Amino acid sequence: MSTQNKIGVLNIAENLQLDLDTDTWVCGRCSCVIGSAHENVKHSLLVGERDPTEVHPPLIMGQPYSFAPNPEWVRILEFYCPSCGVQIETEYLPPGHPITYTTEIDLAALKNRLNQGEMVIENGHLKVVTT
Amino acid sequence: MSYPTVEEKLASLKITPATPHELRCMEKVSRGSYEIAVQRTADILDEGYEIFMRSSRSSMGVAGDSIVAMFSAHGDLVNASAGTYLHAIIPPIVIKYILKKYRENPGINDGDIFYTNDALYGGIHNPDQVAIMPVFHAGELVAWTAALSHTTETGACEPGGMPLSATSRFEEGMNLPPMKIGQNFRINNDIIELFSAFGIRAEANVTVDLKARCTTADRVRTRLVEMCEREGADFVTGLFRRMLIEAETGARKRLMTWPDGVYRCVTFSDAAGLKRGLIRNCFLTMTKRADHLTIDFTGTSPENLSSYNAHPQAVIGHLANYIYEYVFHDLPISSATFAPLDFIFPEASCLSPTPRAATSNAVMICTGAMSAIANCISRARFPSEDWHQTTASMGNGGNAPVIAGTSQWQMPFADMIAYTINTEGQGARCTHDGMDAYGFPWCAFGRAPDVESMENEFPMLVPFSQHWPDSGGHGKFRGGCGTTQFWSVHHVPMLFFLSIADNSSLQTPQPLFGGYAPPTVPGITIKDTKVTELLARLDDGTLDFHALIRGDFGEVQTEPNGRSARPVEADKTISVLMSTGGAGYGDPLDRDPALVQKDLLAGLCSAWSAREIYQVVWDPVRERVDVPATESAREATRKRRLARGKPYVEFEKEWSKRKPPEEIMNLYGSWPDAKPLAPVFRP
Repeated sequence: MSTQNKIGVLNIAENLQLDLDTDTWVCGRCSCVIGSAHENVKHSLLVGERDPTEVHPPLIMGQPYSFAPNPEWVRILEFYCPSCGVQIETEYLPPGHPITYTTEIDLAALKNRLNQGEMVIENGHLKVVTT
Repeated sequence: MSYPTVEEKLASLKITPATPHELRCMEKVSRGSYEIAVQRTADILDEGYEIFMRSSRSSMGVAGDSIVAMFSAHGDLVNASAGTYLHAIIPPIVIKYILKKYRENPGINDGDIFYTNDALYGGIHNPDQVAIMPVFHAGELVAWTAALSHTTETGACEPGGMPLSATSRFEEGMNLPPMKIGQNFRINNDIIELFSAFGIRAEANVTVDLKARCTTADRVRTRLVEMCEREGADFVTGLFRRMLIEAETGARKRLMTWPDGVYRCVTFSDAAGLKRGLIRNCFLTMTKRADHLTIDFTGTSPENLSSYNAHPQAVIGHLANYIYEYVFHDLPISSATFAPLDFIFPEASCLSPTPRAATSNAVMICTGAMSAIANCISRARFPSEDWHQTTASMGNGGNAPVIAGTSQWQMPFADMIAYTINTEGQGARCTHDGMDAYGFPWCAFGRAPDVESMENEFPMLVPFSQHWPDSGGHGKFRGGCGTTQFWSVHHVPMLFFLSIADNSSLQTPQPLFGGYAPPTVPGITIKDTKVTELLARLDDGTLDFHALIRGDFGEVQTEPNGRSARPVEADKTISVLMSTGGAGYGDPLDRDPALVQKDLLAGLCSAWSAREIYQVVWDPVRERVDVPATESAREATRKRRLARGKPYVEFEKEWSKRKPPEEIMNLYGSWPDAKPLAPVFRP
């Protein structure tokens, strides 16, 4: 693909980008290619499970409710870039609850609008072209 | 009975197509006149809002938890002054019901006052009440006005209007379908007596708030009549139609800036009223195509035998809290801005329950929808040119302490301690921390009253109100901190206390882009103490949040924060009240160490969080961050993540075999899809 036909890289989250020329997820911190943008990005990230009391410690000892979430009710899932370890997503879920497919961009529709000139990417964000 | 179906309610939210007459009137409104007149509508509404706050008696009304609105002759919302955007959604349902059902009997005439608070007919929950007046000019119906606010007493089975123990609508006190409560610009005396009877626990609050709503609706009506006399009724008709068209155009234009796609968020809570259990309080799937959104709640847990259920229009009202504040903030508060939105509600779910359901705590079950919509919209919006308006969810705790009894002025009362609910932390923004003690997520413009005013009004003592350290979710930008207060009975022998709350075992809001949620909120009591003696010896130490939970002033006891009505004796018990912090944004390791230092010095972040969450190496003597050591610590933490993390497929294989304990699954529905397991029976 020649440079002049390149679409660009779009910011999807604080540390996640979408390369619309290669249809890949890219780490916003280390710029590594994470995986195919036709897949749920979480499938390409490392998943770390945390006991919620590691993040929200109990402040009152010996009492049933202590400001810390109950680890039997909820766990924290952390999703890391497999290259640099930046934390791209987190989700609080009861143990065993299906992991949410949070962001499912319609790639074809997005590319169509960009190719039609309805939108351009400026500084990593979409800008609607006003006529 | 002929209460509207869900389909009829949703249809009423759509604006009525323009008539040829309206289009002709619209053509006569010049661009310049239009700009001036739109501002005039805002001025009229702001005047009404100010009158409303000054006329109201209960804490929520005084705090500005209200809305004042004007509508087209068809009942479509044209503009409003708020207050709480929650109320913007529902009046069109009620006005269109009145137009459809009451034209002949009891009739719609100049000077009529209509009223309702029944969620089955289109309300939010029965403490939220609305007075509606038609606007006539030269004998023609040209518009409607409304004033809505929350009164904290309804004559329910517990004081405060939001009974935690109610299991059906029959235990929730006054539920009035749309009805005419006055004519010739006067409220009927028998209606005032009806309100007094239902409001016997707090008669002044209930009857004065009733009159405040009617006064406000009539003031806006008066101003619209003046506008008709000055500019002509056709001008007002054309103006309103153009405002609807412009608002819809603006909303669609904004949606066009987001990439098409499907955005999902799932949230949970740990109780429905007094029943403890895991509940999937919202499964939101937002599909964005071109200039249209479909918001689907399929997958949300079933309805339950508590007051933590919400009828669909109430759920949409809660979405409006976020949408009007963050997305359509520069557009009129108008039915037309919601024209591009369609909704899907699963039947017999806690967000679309059967008619006999108790819904007085609709606002509590809707915390999931409020949180999820913030999360989904932020995901859709971040790639757009408005990315800098992306935010993590508010804490949406809504922890509301209610006290009831006889005041030091010998007045019966039942009311909320409004400071607590009006000082939650804001969700983290993608360029800044959330604001500390931002306000009430249900009411962007609500005001936290001064403690001295509260102590003068109610028989209580509040020796301190402070920020709650570490209460905002951690992240590159942290959620705003909530607050904490000490409260005890003063001046009178005893009061009744209850706490409308949940989330002592888990938190509802999901964080955004790698941040963390806020901590959970326990119900905290220190009993068998002597408050006056304790205050007298404060020279010995510091009375603050840490001292209290450390046990410096008596043995700390905790329980779920949602608590039913109970007596509290003067001077013997300290209750610690908490308002939730906002959710966090971004990887905490990306947080500027200088911001951590600032929070440490301000007492908003603990040394533990600085070390363990932010991996900041802090010298407490020099009060400086060791930047190189911090960088090393953070890099080591990233390496630990890489060692700890598993590939998704490998992780999910083990994860999907697990399930929460059976004893907490009583509210959830089937696992994991949360479908009803059995119908809910209410006698």
